[in-house]
Amino acid sequence: MPLLINQQIVEDNWITLSPERLEETAELPQGDLIVPFTYFLENQAVLDAHEGQVGVQVNGDDNLAELYRLHQAFPLVAVEFPVLRDGRGFSIAMQLVRQKFQGQLRAVGDVAHDRLGYMERCGFNAFQIPEERFSQEDLAVFNEISVHYQGAAEDPRPLFRR
Amino acid sequence: MYQYNEVDQTLVNERVEQFRDQTRRFLAGELPEDEFLALRLMNGLYVQRHAPMLRVAIPYGLFSSEQMRKLAHISRKYDKGYGHFTTRTNIQFNWPKLEEVPDILAELAQVQMHAIQTSGNCIRNTTTDPFSGILSNELEDPRPYCEIIRQWSTLHPEFAYLPRKFKIAVTGAPEDRAASQVHDIGLHLVKNAEGEIGFEVLVGGGLGRTPVIGKVVREFLPKQHLLSYLDAILRVYNLNGRRDNKYKARIKILVNALGVEEFTRLVEAEWEFLRDGELTLTDAEIERAKSFFKPFDYDPKAAEDKTLADKLSADQSFATWYEKNTREHKVEGYRAVIVSLKPYLKPAGDITDVQMDLIADLAEQYSFGEIRSTHDQNLVLADVKKSDLFAVWQALDGGNMARPNIGTLTDMIVCPGFDFCALANARTLNIADQINEKFDDLDYLYELGDINVNMSGCINACGHHHVADIGILGVDKKGEDWYQITLGGSSREDARLGKILGKAVAADEVANTIESILGVFVEHRLDNELFRDTVQRIGMDPFKENVYAVAH
Ligand code: HEM
Ligand code: SF4
Repeated sequence: MPLLINQQIVEDNWITLSPERLEETAELPQGDLIVPFTYFLENQAVLDAHEGQVGVQVNGDDNLAELYRLHQAFPLVAVEFPVLRDGRGFSIAMQLVRQKFQGQLRAVGDVAHDRLGYMERCGFNAFQIPEERFSQEDLAVFNEISVHYQGAAEDPRPLFRR
Repeated sequence: MYQYNEVDQTLVNERVEQFRDQTRRFLAGELPEDEFLALRLMNGLYVQRHAPMLRVAIPYGLFSSEQMRKLAHISRKYDKGYGHFTTRTNIQFNWPKLEEVPDILAELAQVQMHAIQTSGNCIRNTTTDPFSGILSNELEDPRPYCEIIRQWSTLHPEFAYLPRKFKIAVTGAPEDRAASQVHDIGLHLVKNAEGEIGFEVLVGGGLGRTPVIGKVVREFLPKQHLLSYLDAILRVYNLNGRRDNKYKARIKILVNALGVEEFTRLVEAEWEFLRDGELTLTDAEIERAKSFFKPFDYDPKAAEDKTLADKLSADQSFATWYEKNTREHKVEGYRAVIVSLKPYLKPAGDITDVQMDLIADLAEQYSFGEIRSTHDQNLVLADVKKSDLFAVWQALDGGNMARPNIGTLTDMIVCPGFDFCALANARTLNIADQINEKFDDLDYLYELGDINVNMSGCINACGHHHVADIGILGVDKKGEDWYQITLGGSSREDARLGKILGKAVAADEVANTIESILGVFVEHRLDNELFRDTVQRIGMDPFKENVYAVAH
């Protein structure tokens, strides 16, 4: 799956462990891992012992208060957009940014062309786009609308304060 | 009126190109249907019974002669020579071709118009009182705040994929002509004990299949916090609103499920992060917004006019129209004119290209080039000199827009129903005609006093039937159209939901049923009591007994 960072396609150095995969594997693979947030909460001892980095994946059904309490511990938070209609991820990102989350904020799930601009403005700095939804044109989408009334993650000032 | 600056213009221009590309990708098969659906809805484009339908935004119902002429042009060039004004104060075109929509949007952008967020699960066009700015009892003109909200909500990256549509209404006077209590958020300009002006904030009103009156979540919000507080409400809703069932996804369901106290607690907790932050309105920004809605250069000599009185006594038709279709203005020598879009046997809210051009001319010549659309599907020329009223009336009459029926039984709100809408259960336009035919006697209508009749073709309630004196809801029974009738609703300050009269009546019985209802009213009415007051006083029983007794 193509991963966009800084509007460039990059190698994904992280291994995403889905709940299914975690159920099947007795031992965690080596390397940097993205685990479901619920798994993280229940298996902290195992993950503490892991050599690589550990990031978490959340969606709107997770315990967000807990996420906001712990977020500084993560080098990466992946926010899932389970379906097109589910826009909770935008607000989750905004809340993390507001709390000065410093790591990689990655949009995963239903992530495609026409929402990349909005996602970036809400603070996402990495976009994992399903293979079949990706095209080179995606790289140009960030600049389709060049002016904004609202503040955004990188500059929270609305137009009237700029 | 708000004038675009370079930023506004760039934004709509770029949006046109963005939508052109989205349409191209869809037609080329590159963009999946469901994704294009969400995108086109955010651009006001539905696919309806006959063709796509394009809903063009008229922010807070205010537009110019130039914009009206462009709408006329669009209706001629891309549609069938007419448009349809809605309860959301927007205009809809029923017959555009999908491929041509980007061109229509490009033409609209030339006159500072667009279709952004007129549909879809995002913050919709903000609405207000069509008499804003000309009322003597207004605390403040609400339109600058509507404009501030418009900017904040336009292409808001966080709130473009809400659980459901989201509607905000703002009022500035003690009366409520914006149906604010049946909006997701209702904002009322109010004065607190210290004499400061701020907002009373209501949340969770709405119609549709679960009609609810909004609840007060904050009695007084200082003005500078308007946007930060809205932001807090929207974020709480976006994160907590239901997404498993689209019929339970509106904010009213969340407010009811949590209880208003808990909902308020969540909003206030979220707001703690935001108050005094970057979203806090500056005095300069409020002043800037206000500068677009300054009173006009009214003619100080207008008050000296003596011609109106003569004309009124000389021409009974003019006098009747004056009485019914004009309203007081805070500036002496001026009146507001209500243009009736409820002519005899024509769909409520419909307007032809010729009528649009005529209104544009009249506004330019007599009302500072501005026009307003109202939530009951009429238009307003807000600033007409009394000495010009006769000329305006004659011109409107020539254009079939001077029917003196404002406020009366035939000034109905009617959604397009089965003839145009893919969601409808029943036809509405034919029933409106039936009612018009039965109650064509103006003297009788005036005798009855103000009564509003609202009709929807299905449970979605686009025609506001729940909040009418007499509400009519089309229902489908084994493929036949039937109509459920409610009484005693109101969308004003005393907002309340109508009560169901009894079992639904057949299509050819609707007007007769209304006649029986009116018979009961006339029988029980004290002096010149209004229909709504009689219903409140005597309750539903006398109506129930009589109407169903007669029908059998
Ligand atoms: C013909 C195309 C239309 C479609 C497909 C449509 C669809 C809908 C739907 C599905 C709802 C229910 C939403 C909900 O409760 O969550 C609704 C509500 C509503 N619509 Fe429409 N509508 C159409 C036209 C109109 C028109 C012509 C008007 C104005 C005359 C209008 C104004 C409204 C209003 C005021 C509501 C009630 C909103 C509330 O619940 O607070 N719609 N519409
Ligand atoms: S009330 Fe129903 S029939 Fe009427 S416009 Fe709305 S969705 Fe269509």
